[in-house]
Amino acid sequence: MAWRSDGLKVPWRRTERRSDDPYWDFFINTPPADRANSILDVIRKAPEGNVFPTRADLHSPEVTASHVKEMARYLGADLVGITELDNDDAGHPFAIVCAVRAADDPREALGIGGQVPVQNGLFVTFVLSAWIRELGYRASTATSRDGTRLAVAAKLGTLDRTGLLVTAEYGTGVHVADVIRTDLPLTAA
Amino acid sequence: MAVTPGTETPAPPYLGRSVRIVGPVANVDMNQTPHPKNSRGELGKALFNWYRNTISRDPLTRVSAPNHFADQRNFLPSVVNQAPKGKVNSRQIPVSDPAAMTRHIKAVAHHMGADVVTVARAHPSFLYAASTPPSGARDVYQNRSGDVYQGRTPEQMAERYPYIIVATTAWDYDKLQAHRHYIGDAAYHVSQMKAQLILKALEGYIKELGYAALRGMSNPQAAGLASGVGELGRNGLLIHRKFGARIHMPDPIMTDLPLVPDQPVDNGVEDFCKICRKCAINCPTNSVPFGDKVVFNGVEKYKINWLTCYKVRPYMDAHWGSCLTCATVCPFTKPNVWWRSLTVWALSTCPITARPVLVRVLKAIDDRFWGATRQTRVRWLGYDSGIKPGEQACTVAGCTAEHGTAHAAEPVGNIGYYAPLKENTNRFVKRDA
Repeated sequence: MAWRSDGLKVPWRRTERRSDDPYWDFFINTPPADRANSILDVIRKAPEGNVFPTRADLHSPEVTASHVKEMARYLGADLVGITELDNDDAGHPFAIVCAVRAADDPREALGIGGQVPVQNGLFVTFVLSAWIRELGYRASTATSRDGTRLAVAAKLGTLDRTGLLVTAEYGTGVHVADVIRTDLPLTAA
Repeated sequence: MAVTPGTETPAPPYLGRSVRIVGPVANVDMNQTPHPKNSRGELGKALFNWYRNTISRDPLTRVSAPNHFADQRNFLPSVVNQAPKGKVNSRQIPVSDPAAMTRHIKAVAHHMGADVVTVARAHPSFLYAASTPPSGARDVYQNRSGDVYQGRTPEQMAERYPYIIVATTAWDYDKLQAHRHYIGDAAYHVSQMKAQLILKALEGYIKELGYAALRGMSNPQAAGLASGVGELGRNGLLIHRKFGARIHMPDPIMTDLPLVPDQPVDNGVEDFCKICRKCAINCPTNSVPFGDKVVFNGVEKYKINWLTCYKVRPYMDAHWGSCLTCATVCPFTKPNVWWRSLTVWALSTCPITARPVLVRVLKAIDDRFWGATRQTRVRWLGYDSGIKPGEQACTVAGCTAEHGTAHAAEPVGNIGYYAPLKENTNRFVKRDA
């Protein structure tokens, strides 16, 4: 279907005009008064599920890698890459790095709205890592400081002078989600 | 005659042309709806075991479908819905213009990824009944309905929390074409998880604005009808202007945030369903009625036989989880492109007296191009609906892996297969008639 109606929208009729919205700044920038009103902590702290005892009948590593990427995109990741890990503490050979578009930088915009990219990233990494565990392989997500470094290694983009990830598709407006470390047989690409 | 404030019954709400309230409506007890009945074992052993004791063979279903996981910790909604509830912010944001706040809430939900957001005016008949303490089972949010009511009547609740926010997601059209297959299940269950995440985040945000956000209170279909998500079709599903029947109806948010409610819509569903019957013809269990609307609990509508619809599930467990046939074959369920927008626009602007003629023309076009039953082959992530049920084959291009199982012949042509029904499904109908 080449003729999606999305492509025919007139550009000046935007449904959401942020400048007209008196509450938008509160949504993006005011941190929640009660942390329990944000679901991010709950998802982050949720214990990891079991690895399914029977391993799934997998395809060859290149195909599995493309399936993992397709799944990540279906779950809402805008960029996804896979890189090899040299010295991982738990001995995982691969890292899957997902990034989602972020209109506001989640490191500065601490409101529930500013954290929406984090929420979208957590949805992708939680379901993707759970799926890999159900395929019978180990997969763990953890917020780590080397997320940006691994994103560069996974060819999502390059670093600029200040150490921010710059991508060809979205510039610096991306949020790198938690890195998934796994022993699923993949190929780096 | 003096009436205690909040106890008089308001006039029945207008729900559009597809559903009419004709008599007194008793509030539905959520404990008497299908899933709670089944989890108490009231629908028989086969269904109980399917619902409570079955682990799916499909890894993606184990991650995304309620109750068929191997480990609950791998299932996101169980984490999200059982999260501790936050407090309502004591510093309430004043709302001078409810219309601006309505636009804001809709923009927020869209920003989080919702496809459809509407606001309904609450009506007592939409609410689930407050069950009395002995049977007050907890819902998925760990509420007891009695706790949420706090001794108030439904009338008082609808007055105190006058708005219901319906926010939801649509399923992927292309994957849905392989319904009665794990691919269709993925389209359904993944977007359902996303909708639950969005609603939980929206609930937290409304509390941060300083207003109440109650879950597990309102019937989503009633709120959806009143707020113009769509009209109720013959298949018992809300049919949306853009997405057709492929939208979820998760639990909406009841709130006292000042908003402007939306109105019911007319998409021509009422006129189409009178003539079409595609869902009734295709339903594998004959659960969708061929006949006219009936009055049930004071509501005039098409009523499906939920019990027969439910009873087929344990038999198909090895092939798929969710049937979705009635949603897929519905002529309104089409890709979201200009020609479908044009068609729905033409139908909804046509004078009502001339609609039967137009519907017959559109139905003929639909039958000609889509067929009475679609059998599209869909390939996704190594799943392939062109492989006959029960057979195994690897149809992934470039795969050099040696698969452990014996493989059947390559699939031929571009036809997708449904898992066959093991039983003559008429037996379900006869037994319960």
